[in-house]
Amino acid sequence: MTQKELHNQRLVKEAQKAVMQQHTRRHFIKESAMGFGALALGSLLGGCNTSSSANLFDATNPLAPKAPPFLGKAKSVIYLHMAGAPSQLEMFSYKPELAKLDGLDCPPSLLNGKKFAFIRGVPKMLGPQASFKQYGESGIWLSENLPHLSTVIDDVAVLQAVTTDQFNHAPAQLLMHTGTPRLGRPSMGSWVTYGLGSENKNLPGFVVLTSGGNNPDAGKSVWGSGFLPSVYQGVQCRSEGDPVLFIKDPAGMDRDIRKASIDAINKVNEESYTEYQDPETLSRISQYELAYKMQISVPGVMDISTEPDYIHEMYGTRPGESCFANNVLLARKLVEKGVRFVQLFDWGWDTHGDSAGNAVDIGLKNKCRKIDRPITALLQDLKQRGLLDETLVVWGSEFGRTPMQENREGKTMPFKGRDHHGEAFSMWMAGGGIKGGTTYGETDEIGYNIVNGKVETFDIQATILNQLGFDHEKFTYESQGRNFRLTDLSGKVIHDIIA
Amino acid sequence: MFLQPSKKLFYSSAVLIVLAITAVVIYPSDPIDYNTEVKPILNKKCITCHGGVKQEGGFSLLFEEEAFAPTKSGKPAIIKYKPEESELIRRLHLTDPEERMPYKHDPLSKEEIKILTTWIKEGAKWGSHWAYQKVKEPDVPSIDDDWVNNNIDKYILEKLETEKLSPSKEADKATLLRRVSLDLTGLPANKKIAAKYLNDNSDKAYENLVNDLMASPAYGEKWAALWLDLARYADTKGFEADRSRNIYKYRDWLIDAFNKDKPYNDFLIEQIAGDLLPNPTDANYIATAFHRNTMNNDEGGTDNEEYRTAAVLDRVNTTWSAVMGTSFNCVQCHSHPYDPFKHDEYYKFMAFFNNTRDEDSPFENPVLRQYQGADNVKFESLKKWLAKNADPAAANYWTTFIRTLQPSINAFQCDKFVDGANGWYATLRNNGTCNLKDVVLTGKSELLFKYASSVDKGMWRIYLDSLNGKLIKEVPIKNTGGGFVHERTSLPSIQGKHTLYFKYYSPKIKNNTDNGILFEWFSFGNPFPGKEKPGFDSAYKYFNDLLMAGAETTPIMMEANQDLSRTTHVFERGSWLSKGKEVTPDVPGILPSLPKNAPKNRMGLAMWLTSTNNPLVARTLVNRLWEQLFGSGIVETLEDLGTQGLSPTHQTLLDYLAWQHMHTHNWSIKKTLKEIVLSATYKQQSIFTKELLKKDPYNKLYARGPRVRLSAEQIRDQTLAVSSLLSPKMYGKSVMPYQPDGIWRSPYNGDTWKLSEGEDQYRRSLYTYFKRTAPYPSMITFDGGAREVCVIRRIRTNTPLQALTSLNDSSYIIMARSFAKSMENVKGPIEAKIKTGYEQMMYKPISANKLNALTSLYQSSLSKYQSNKKAANILVSDSTLASPTNRAALVVVANAMLNLDEWLNKN
Repeated sequence: MTQKELHNQRLVKEAQKAVMQQHTRRHFIKESAMGFGALALGSLLGGCNTSSSANLFDATNPLAPKAPPFLGKAKSVIYLHMAGAPSQLEMFSYKPELAKLDGLDCPPSLLNGKKFAFIRGVPKMLGPQASFKQYGESGIWLSENLPHLSTVIDDVAVLQAVTTDQFNHAPAQLLMHTGTPRLGRPSMGSWVTYGLGSENKNLPGFVVLTSGGNNPDAGKSVWGSGFLPSVYQGVQCRSEGDPVLFIKDPAGMDRDIRKASIDAINKVNEESYTEYQDPETLSRISQYELAYKMQISVPGVMDISTEPDYIHEMYGTRPGESCFANNVLLARKLVEKGVRFVQLFDWGWDTHGDSAGNAVDIGLKNKCRKIDRPITALLQDLKQRGLLDETLVVWGSEFGRTPMQENREGKTMPFKGRDHHGEAFSMWMAGGGIKGGTTYGETDEIGYNIVNGKVETFDIQATILNQLGFDHEKFTYESQGRNFRLTDLSGKVIHDIIA
Repeated sequence: MFLQPSKKLFYSSAVLIVLAITAVVIYPSDPIDYNTEVKPILNKKCITCHGGVKQEGGFSLLFEEEAFAPTKSGKPAIIKYKPEESELIRRLHLTDPEERMPYKHDPLSKEEIKILTTWIKEGAKWGSHWAYQKVKEPDVPSIDDDWVNNNIDKYILEKLETEKLSPSKEADKATLLRRVSLDLTGLPANKKIAAKYLNDNSDKAYENLVNDLMASPAYGEKWAALWLDLARYADTKGFEADRSRNIYKYRDWLIDAFNKDKPYNDFLIEQIAGDLLPNPTDANYIATAFHRNTMNNDEGGTDNEEYRTAAVLDRVNTTWSAVMGTSFNCVQCHSHPYDPFKHDEYYKFMAFFNNTRDEDSPFENPVLRQYQGADNVKFESLKKWLAKNADPAAANYWTTFIRTLQPSINAFQCDKFVDGANGWYATLRNNGTCNLKDVVLTGKSELLFKYASSVDKGMWRIYLDSLNGKLIKEVPIKNTGGGFVHERTSLPSIQGKHTLYFKYYSPKIKNNTDNGILFEWFSFGNPFPGKEKPGFDSAYKYFNDLLMAGAETTPIMMEANQDLSRTTHVFERGSWLSKGKEVTPDVPGILPSLPKNAPKNRMGLAMWLTSTNNPLVARTLVNRLWEQLFGSGIVETLEDLGTQGLSPTHQTLLDYLAWQHMHTHNWSIKKTLKEIVLSATYKQQSIFTKELLKKDPYNKLYARGPRVRLSAEQIRDQTLAVSSLLSPKMYGKSVMPYQPDGIWRSPYNGDTWKLSEGEDQYRRSLYTYFKRTAPYPSMITFDGGAREVCVIRRIRTNTPLQALTSLNDSSYIIMARSFAKSMENVKGPIEAKIKTGYEQMMYKPISANKLNALTSLYQSSLSKYQSNKKAANILVSDSTLASPTNRAALVVVANAMLNLDEWLNKN
């Protein structure tokens, strides 16, 4: 049996086991008087629309692992979002013709009828600010800004023609993660946790890690649960203070006292249960037990300092600091522990050219340096642990950047920068059943428009759901009299990049 | 899909039909009811393909006229009185999967087919969904029973009797005290009110308690908190930078409205159309901030019209879902798939809201300006002077202008910039040009505008209709040192609506990239009136002073005047970029039409909403009040009373309450609430018996009292109250109680969470600063919404993160410390201290087992702290204590007590 077959067999077993467990649990709940009450009250308290037959929400155990509708190749997702929109032209999109146009006025044909965030009047073209070479057996072109990634490029499928119709950060991030440019819909991670539950009941199913000093532009809404029950929202784990809010015992209260106090709370609650026979009281007792277990397990999982030196060397991590590399290593640890969806946001990619830090030839290179090594290490590390096959890694942003140099308010900028560009940009996926060493989609000679292989944000979402075992058109939730889905009314799976 | 059937199929189905029809004839029964029997089948089995969006075979069952109209085949699918000739029935009986309906789904059950057949046989009488029918005077069940306190109980008991269940007995006084206090005021009753009730053994004791609670200012705070969810109230604007918004006066308006028991009809009229009342007061204007809680997007390059439109759509959706319990969103893109609302009716309704002056302005215009101190004295004197010396129209115009700076045009509406740009302002550089469309110049002789410039000797030229057009004005532009000032210039007499072209020039600008002028707004009008009148000079000075004065500003709704009014179009498939036919304001045809005297604007809409003919408004309100008290609405789906919502558990009771609210209680929320909380239904004890768990686990029949987890606000507020920390301070700017670091990290926004000082740390939760992209953590953990859009119903969950919050959040530790301190002051052994603390929480004595559990926790903690005084000191954080160990152990106990199930629940 090949490695892959073994892997598939294991996945089948796990899926079957999950179905069994689910059945057993439901059976138990149905049979026992108190459990019956719990289930019934659960749906009362949950208040979810009981007329929707496909509703997967069970208030008594909302994060119980569930089998996907079909066998997906991936069990979990690590989604790396570079907030601010990195320039594809200095990273993945090799455009030698653009170099020849450097410094020339942008032709009116590119400007007519277009609206930019900051470009006004006639801007100048800006050639690539990095040199490119081909790498790996696949011969994928990469810039000098990604020396590490070039060594694992044969594991990666690069999407060269992603497009979005939003050119402001917050709406574009919302579109990418929630399927609409406006606030109020569930994020991808919430959908996935709602559909699959979590394998580790001592950890949240959907964890969010941010770096770069700011939250993404769209704020917590990009990991919000929208109309799904709030239990499915992303739990932001923090690199400063408590890793999960309020996970630490209060100062001056040690673990034993906390244990004794939870025991006392639960003892009194059992008395209340005797008094009122309210099944929700039993649920509260178990949630307090769970909280205690989380207090014990989370700090350990979140502590990267215990990793061996070679791992730190590999990722370039610096325990105790707040940085992207630390979050990447943490993501691997969380996925290893059964967390379903790990969402990383790294702030600081908005290279307008208004400062050195925001210049495509200065700041962007520094940002690349900070992500190139850890991301490469992540792919290698997942692979060496046999986890890459079942972990889908997605890298991308909300949009790309213009081949023109930004001229904010029609003025020359102090540094080389590019404006927001939604028409065409690059993303990549790896692991989780993705065909490595592929490129998909093509843009024109200057990376302005798509020539073929267009990928919309909905297609990315459809593909991620597909790899997890969901048909994005059938995975719906009813809210306000309508069935909603992550991909709204669009989306097609990108079959060309699936192994 | 309507294929020619084969003969064989036809015969076999004909036999079936005959059989089916015979069956009906043999067993006659009551006529079939469309709403309760037919519509549910159509909705579940047919309407997905034969409804609003899809009309397969040209057949739709959504509207009556569609259902009986000819289909693609040329014949109607339903022939009244003739099921055997009705294609609809024939198709249900077929066996060919290509032909049998529902297509590619399981066939209908015999029972369902029988209902549809009988219904057609009886003439296929169409019916309107109950929630769209006028509320009729109720026929209260004639039930005589000792248990009954008021009419509500008769409805409840009637149904219980048919289910062979009996109600529970009345809860004990302590339980009722806690329940009704939390329900009516969001807080435990204060010591005085509690003691009065507990010591009052008269029949009126409970009613007096209800009166006392309703009279307490905490009542308004509790109900305002509910309305803040519906109004999607927040202290920030949303989106990227999520900057601060000053709109707290709306929250305070709500508190006052509830405390004064403003009738619900007036409450709605003021919020929907307060600005259109004659001589609107400040409070009338502030009420309209209800619909200014929509989000703004200040991000660079955003299309203000796109986000203005989004806000208007949100107002439509919020009005329907919050006030009328109807999900109207789907009609934005197509006719409603299940309820009888047509696509263009959405846009007719939107037209009511499409004519306000807000335009996604980063300055939040229009705002009500409330002047302070000396400025207010000037304002009052100016107002008086105008009333005396100007004609009423002019007096009104200028008074309104100084209160709202309206009518004016935001400069970011300028377009076609060359050497200039628009963002928050319209900016022109040297020789820069732009235009301003659709300016009505008829009867306008003066332009008042706000601008800034750092350049000497500037000149602003205004051309008519094109840059080569007539130069109508040259305005010298002074160097303002970069600050914004107001300036006026006279205008020549020009008729009609024109596009104005602007050009700026100064010989002093050396650098082509330097800005020459920044415009903020323009107001085309006439000179300040009464030049010849005594006192003009000082009035005019006051006016100019006030233009520059600082003021407390609140975003409000203001209707555009004729010059600035917009037209409304249908958006094809809901996209604001593809505009279809023009529409004018109106309400959906299925509902009563606008009252005869109603103007076709927001005031007319408000009159329609609050007419006793409106079937949805009162029902939605009483359903929501019921949900607040019982944990679940009579219609559980508060957001949808339509055919897709859940059916009401007690429809006649809902109608009774709606009728009472409008006609008997004259829209008084207090009276309606009082009727409910005085019912025997509400006062029942909430014990789940085995029988009830089996027969009615959801408590849909109300054979027991409500027992649900408290809201995020109630949990924090009652904990502050019992630990004697709660500040009684009301109103004012939102406060920032303790919050862990690093929650706020919005880009392009230097705002920080600055811990409030003194009692402001311990205010009720509705005063906590609400940032949309990063709400207060414990609010969110306990199921509060992010209020990006209207939060119709909070879905309660039970998660370990909630436990972690009330166990470990520093604010809860501070509360536990304070609670421990008050318990420590109780004389006697530890048991007495805990006993008293528990009684303060629950108003009743603690049981022996509970006391034992807590006492042992105290003892084990105490022995721990005796060997670790340092830890004890850290936990109690009280340097005045000689020995911290006892207190520390008591803090542990207090922390546990504040996490008890009965504390987190209503009882």
